[in-house]
Amino acid sequence: MKEKIIGFLFVMSLLLFAGCGHGEKNVLNVGMELAYPPFEMTDKEGRPAGISVDMAHELGKFLNRPVKIWNISFDGLIPSLKTGKIDVIISSMTITEERSQSVTFSNPYSKAYLALLVSKDSPVEKVEDLNSKGRVIAVKKGTTGHLYAREHFPLARINVFDKESACVLEVVQKKADCFIYDQMTIFTNWQKNPDTTRAILKPFQKDFEYWGMAMRKDDTELHRQVNAFLESFKENGGFDRLAEKYLKDEKETFDELGIPFFFSP
Amino acid sequence: MTKKWMRCFLRESGREAPSPCPSTLLNALLVALFILFIFIFSFSRLEYDFHWAGVWAYRAKFLRGLGMTLVLSFFSLIVSFLLGSFFALGQKSRFLPFYFFSRFYVEIIRGTPLLVQILVFFYVIADAFRVQNRYVTGVVILSLFAGAYISEIIRAGIDSIGETQLETARSLGLTRFQQYRFIIFPQVFKRILPPLAGQLVSLIKDSSLLSIISVSEFTLNAQEVNAYTYSTLESYLPLAVGYLLITYPISNLSKRLERAFSYET
Amino acid sequence: MKLDITGLTKVFDGKRVLSGISLHLDNIRSLVIIGPSGGGKSTLLRIIAGLLVPEEGTIAVNGHAIPSEEKALRDYRKTIGMVFQSYNLFPHLTAAENIMLPLVRVHGYEPERARVHAMGLLERFQLSAHAEKKPALLSGGQKQRIAIARAVAVSPSFLLFDEPTSALDPEFTSEVLDVIEELREEGKDLILVTHEMGFAKIVSDYALFLDEGIIAGAGNPSEIFDTPDEQRLVQFLDKVLKY
Repeated sequence: MKEKIIGFLFVMSLLLFAGCGHGEKNVLNVGMELAYPPFEMTDKEGRPAGISVDMAHELGKFLNRPVKIWNISFDGLIPSLKTGKIDVIISSMTITEERSQSVTFSNPYSKAYLALLVSKDSPVEKVEDLNSKGRVIAVKKGTTGHLYAREHFPLARINVFDKESACVLEVVQKKADCFIYDQMTIFTNWQKNPDTTRAILKPFQKDFEYWGMAMRKDDTELHRQVNAFLESFKENGGFDRLAEKYLKDEKETFDELGIPFFFSP
Repeated sequence: MTKKWMRCFLRESGREAPSPCPSTLLNALLVALFILFIFIFSFSRLEYDFHWAGVWAYRAKFLRGLGMTLVLSFFSLIVSFLLGSFFALGQKSRFLPFYFFSRFYVEIIRGTPLLVQILVFFYVIADAFRVQNRYVTGVVILSLFAGAYISEIIRAGIDSIGETQLETARSLGLTRFQQYRFIIFPQVFKRILPPLAGQLVSLIKDSSLLSIISVSEFTLNAQEVNAYTYSTLESYLPLAVGYLLITYPISNLSKRLERAFSYET
Repeated sequence: MKLDITGLTKVFDGKRVLSGISLHLDNIRSLVIIGPSGGGKSTLLRIIAGLLVPEEGTIAVNGHAIPSEEKALRDYRKTIGMVFQSYNLFPHLTAAENIMLPLVRVHGYEPERARVHAMGLLERFQLSAHAEKKPALLSGGQKQRIAIARAVAVSPSFLLFDEPTSALDPEFTSEVLDVIEELREEGKDLILVTHEMGFAKIVSDYALFLDEGIIAGAGNPSEIFDTPDEQRLVQFLDKVLKY
């Protein structure tokens, strides 16, 4: 009787461990932070949805591999990639020199730039005003906004948060002069808080931020395949389809305001 | 069943012959080696190249964060002790409004997560009162949180003082206040020192949650270093070690206090 | 000691622990109360001590009514000395400090004078060697004697003892009873609740038998102990004195 129980437990644990890890070797594990609509978000049933999700599935079809989306916080994406939990990051991640030291990026597939969500009563009128003592800037941990603020506004106080919503709240409640993030999110949040905020949408960086998909440095095969996919996707009008599906209204507004939009690298 | 060699692994007891080996040393070493082995094995399986130089450059930032954690915990301990005493008396009070208010406070605080309390306190309550300083608010939040647990510790301590002692005190003509001052508190204070020390350890660990409102304590600073260097394990391992360095001496002291006071009673 | 009790009733949780007790004594040095557990002895003693307030009835000691309002009661308690069955001494204070506490905090003695007084009493009870020890290091008999010393220290008008030896190991009983007898010899008024019948007979001027909340027997020692006539008293004494 004792032997039977031990035997049963042994088999159960084997099955458990078999279920662990990534199971099938062929699955393409894609990491993104599902907190950045309409690029990475969840639908009403809680399933991953958005531009990057659609791109991930198209990539999977192109490579003939099943795709699994992993929801990971932004500053945890590169570590997860490095430790092998995921194979590629498709999370509207900007290609930077520092990041390129840890990972390798695909060719750029989109461009964005930083903008400011400014508190209504703040004395800040233009970007340069931010670099002075007494200014408080809210940023989301690990984003280009965070890194830009750190480099260009050394005299200001930089408060770091995990969530974009916290940063917006800080600006609305006048705890911060501004929030630095991508132009579309800033625009959307300004629309949502017209009485307490204003937006500086004109690009102020030397150059645009280009988005790329990130992979492990030694994963040269995947790198080649992803670039091939991007090339083909662009030629097939894949990006236009996505822009039409998700960004129609925003594109119109931005065009009217004369501000550059995303998918035009 | 041989028993002699088995005694090497058992704590010495007065009832049996002494152990044939240096049991404490041997077993502590054995367990330490085992744990070390698990760590080395786990890390070697990670496809992770450690890059300590990047994180080492930020050592001052780590230390500043650690210092802030200590400062926050220290002040919170004092205020929470005062609050805890106040509400412990409240829970024993015959003045009903005070009694009900105390019970309400304890139930609410102990029944909701600290994370939720931090967000509600800082973004709703503090904002309503136009209090912007997140460090002061952080200390208030932590104090209110720990205060509820401390009040239960103190209340239990007071209850542990035998009824007869109080009856004797009354018969001697001591007023209620004198009973608390000369009979109850001197004894309660000694009895609650061990659980209080435990509460201090919890405070130090719980203070890490203040990172979500961008209080620049130990954890947030480590997370920032991670964001700048992309070296996650190298940022978080020192974080864990740092907390242990502070908490271990305290819990050790607490155990020794416990032994010292039980001897006296 | 003059004791005037009329219609005294005490109720706990709906149960009548004392039912209309009446008693008038004069010129009694030492009163002993005996009876079965739950009979009301401790309750009566606590009312006399000012620790409990009766529901009905009046009680006056030496011509002064015991007040029912807390502040006045507290002042009354300062004039009596009480010794409980156990856990008398405060465990965090030394023997000397236990005696000094009421002197300094309640009766306004200067700490020096209190210390001298306390040491004098300890000397008298042959306990000087233990003055700086905490109760944990003392025997039951020593602790009770120190408790008696503390009760005596405040120069009370009379002493109350609630079964002072019931919780002690038998070897310590006589040393405590000796002290009580000494005090009686000195002329201190006392009320003693006890199960030690032999001692009760020796030390009392008057004895009360309390059973189920009423006085079921009262009289001088020989009436109560040698020639009891009341049925319940006879049964009680038989049980207690059996072994």
